[in-house]
Amino acid sequence: MKKNWLILSVIFAVMLVLAACNNADKDSAKTDDGNKDKPAQTEDNKVDTNTLPMDVTNEGDAIKGGTLKVGLVTDTPFKGVFSWELYDDAYDSEIMAYATNVLFELDGDFQIKDTGIAKLDVDANNKKAKVTIQGDVKWSDGKPLTADDLIYPYEIIGHPDYEGVRYDDDFKNIVGAEEYHDGKAKTISGIKKIDEKSIEITFKKVSPAIYSIGDGLWAYAAPKHQLESIPVKDLISSDAVRKNPVTLGAFKYDKIVNGESVQFVANEHYFKGKPKLDKVVVEVVPSTSIGEAMKTGKYDIATSFPTNQYDGVKDLSNVSLLGRPELAYSYVGFKLGKYDKVSSKNIFDEKSKMNDVNLRQAIGYAMDIESVTEKFYQGLRVRANSLIPPVFASYYDDTLEGYHYDPEKAKELLDKAGYKDKDGDGIREDKDGKKFTIRLAAMSGSDTDEAIAEYYRQNWKDVGLNVELTTGRLIEFNSFYDKVQADDPEIDMFMAAWGTGTNPSPIGLYSEGAEFNMSRFVSSELTTMLEDIDSDKALEDMNSDKPKEEKYRSKAFRTWQEYMSEQATTIPMYFRTEIIPVNKRVKNYDAAHENGSIENLHTVELVADQPLK
Amino acid sequence: MEQKNDTMTVESTPPTGIQVVIREFRKDKLALISFIGMNLLIISILIAAMLMDQEEILKIQLLERYTEPGVNGYILGADEAGRDMLGQLIIGAKNSILIAIAITLIANTIGVVLGIIMGYYGGFIDNLFMRIIDFLMTLPTLMIIIVLVTIIPKYGVAELILILSAFQWIGTARLVRSKALSEGRRDYVSASKTMGTSDFAIMFKGILPNLSSLLIVELTLNFAGNVGIETGLSFLGFGLPPSTPSLGTLVSYATNPIVLSSKWWVWLPASILILILMLGINYVGQALRRAADAKQRMG
Repeated sequence: MKKNWLILSVIFAVMLVLAACNNADKDSAKTDDGNKDKPAQTEDNKVDTNTLPMDVTNEGDAIKGGTLKVGLVTDTPFKGVFSWELYDDAYDSEIMAYATNVLFELDGDFQIKDTGIAKLDVDANNKKAKVTIQGDVKWSDGKPLTADDLIYPYEIIGHPDYEGVRYDDDFKNIVGAEEYHDGKAKTISGIKKIDEKSIEITFKKVSPAIYSIGDGLWAYAAPKHQLESIPVKDLISSDAVRKNPVTLGAFKYDKIVNGESVQFVANEHYFKGKPKLDKVVVEVVPSTSIGEAMKTGKYDIATSFPTNQYDGVKDLSNVSLLGRPELAYSYVGFKLGKYDKVSSKNIFDEKSKMNDVNLRQAIGYAMDIESVTEKFYQGLRVRANSLIPPVFASYYDDTLEGYHYDPEKAKELLDKAGYKDKDGDGIREDKDGKKFTIRLAAMSGSDTDEAIAEYYRQNWKDVGLNVELTTGRLIEFNSFYDKVQADDPEIDMFMAAWGTGTNPSPIGLYSEGAEFNMSRFVSSELTTMLEDIDSDKALEDMNSDKPKEEKYRSKAFRTWQEYMSEQATTIPMYFRTEIIPVNKRVKNYDAAHENGSIENLHTVELVADQPLK
Repeated sequence: MEQKNDTMTVESTPPTGIQVVIREFRKDKLALISFIGMNLLIISILIAAMLMDQEEILKIQLLERYTEPGVNGYILGADEAGRDMLGQLIIGAKNSILIAIAITLIANTIGVVLGIIMGYYGGFIDNLFMRIIDFLMTLPTLMIIIVLVTIIPKYGVAELILILSAFQWIGTARLVRSKALSEGRRDYVSASKTMGTSDFAIMFKGILPNLSSLLIVELTLNFAGNVGIETGLSFLGFGLPPSTPSLGTLVSYATNPIVLSSKWWVWLPASILILILMLGINYVGQALRRAADAKQRMG
């Protein structure tokens, strides 16, 4: 017994020494070659996202065929609903990307271009759009793609038995959709088949959003010949969705182990040509082990890689890291009113606690966002200056200053607004001299979130604002949004994030009628600006030859961004970068949103039989 | 001569209370070392924590992020927010220990009082409380604690102590009740009754001292258990609020695989401290248990 203890403690001690050595070695190596090999990294591990490449090309002769191994990072099993009309789990959509039925391809501004399977022609005057299949396109089972396959998804989504989330306000914008949904009509009257290759859709209104697949336009085809015989309410559990879906994508489904993995094989009918790879295997990996799995060469590519594990992969010799801007932004919002469920309107309350523009601006200036992005996120997030992510190049206002770290300015603004420290405890009182405490709701997620929230509280304290956490701790994701959306009186401000999707139009997030307008701020100027962005005027010169900055919609976007920045009801915090680790045996991979590898999977090649270790 | 004398005294008057405990500790060197060690450790932690400026230690210094031990005056390094690990360890240990002591005291007081009342009166009162206890024991305590922690609006150290105490008295009450039940049938209790002593005096002046050996053991072992429960909850994120460090929150940093593999100074000291505390208290507790039971005694 005693001997065992001795051995154990010796082993333990040795392990400690080894661990310590290990660290020292790594560090010295880093400073030695830091400047030569990794220009992207400065001494304190900061990544300059501008130099994190979008694409990678590895030298070597490509092997014939081969299997691409994809790690799908998630801690829960995927649901396995492989239908664009029915799925509601983001992981299913990531899997479907390898066998997608998408009809359109998008350009840098996420607007439909003409290179996809189908082409879109909008007739704004008559509120009509025509979708035409270009060339002979076949499903993976060899059957031709016809106009019926373009209409069928509308009939699934609009069907009375449809239970998914896509029957929404946008979808009701199609003429006749509601009648069909209520069972009053056999077909959707606004959708007409012109010939075997084209359909025409009539809308109630057409806005510029239609070019980013908004206004009710549907971007996918559904294989009618396979799905026709299955009643819509049974679709979600049918084999055609779960086991052997027919697809238009570069790969077709081969083996599906529900919740665990999906194996694809090359689709010889793919409209861009047969893929060079034989197979793609997508497998679920828990977020805690993906770093190790990439290191040991278990996977070629990891999707939705957790940012806080960047440290674990950044120095690997067998993996290249690609960076891609996310279509999202984080922000601090202020509660300025309530949402009235009865009238479905946001009601702005002038007397609310946070309704002082100087106070809100001071809160923004007091936050040391720069340091947080640099230290905690290692540059994978950068300070945001606007509520439109920079990926939307023609709408993003890069001249906007935003709220940089300036505690002196914050103090000045607070003094000006009348928030002064009257009892000398270093904490400011409100305008009437009463104790002033701001309650912040913040979300828990990664393990750094807590330290970040504490750091901002410290920042605010430095300028004399006492900020406490609602409920005294970080709030779990789902209950956080429940509370914020329900206008919980315990919340004065909140830190949250929005994914913008490919349609940057802010009307769904900031308008008077939007339930998601969580700061509840409404003003007549704002309403005009939002309407301007999606107005007919904006639609008119969408496709004109004017330079992008000159277009009506771009200008409208800029006006709105400037106004929001001045009002500071929603202060943008970070823009995010997604990292995609790619094993060096992948010959060529491009992570770009536009025309990237995921759109051109048929060109991806490998240079070795197994992922490099 | 001397030896003989010793055995003589032993035979004549059986050793009582504290003497037995001292002899037990003398025999069990591990328990003795643990006892002295634990006391020194806890006292020095409490004193060190008193001398420290908590606000200064918890101030986030981004430049010192993950400073290694021994660099820039950080004896045990710094965590992801540049907070000194040694200071956090001491404050965290202080919080964990004080919370455990508070829970042990509150829960045991309730448990002892209820247990003696049940055991002494027996009958209906006993039945009623025992059924309540039986019911409470079937509940998944940890789950309920987690739910309570998430739903109460204002949450701090005091609330955590109360919630945890609310479930900890049950075991003690059962134990004390069974002992008090047999004690209550003894002659000295009947004698007191005939002399007209009040029930209250019999229970707490008569029976309670006779249960003291049992209680000391129970208190010690409960204390170790309560340190465990508090750190466990904090580890899961349902313990102390984020601004208050505890051993559990320090260990929970290790859930990040990168911290686990390359930043050992963040989580290892706290883990070792928990291990030492648990082992030490348990050794002491076991020695006490043996002392309380003549059959198991070593000395």
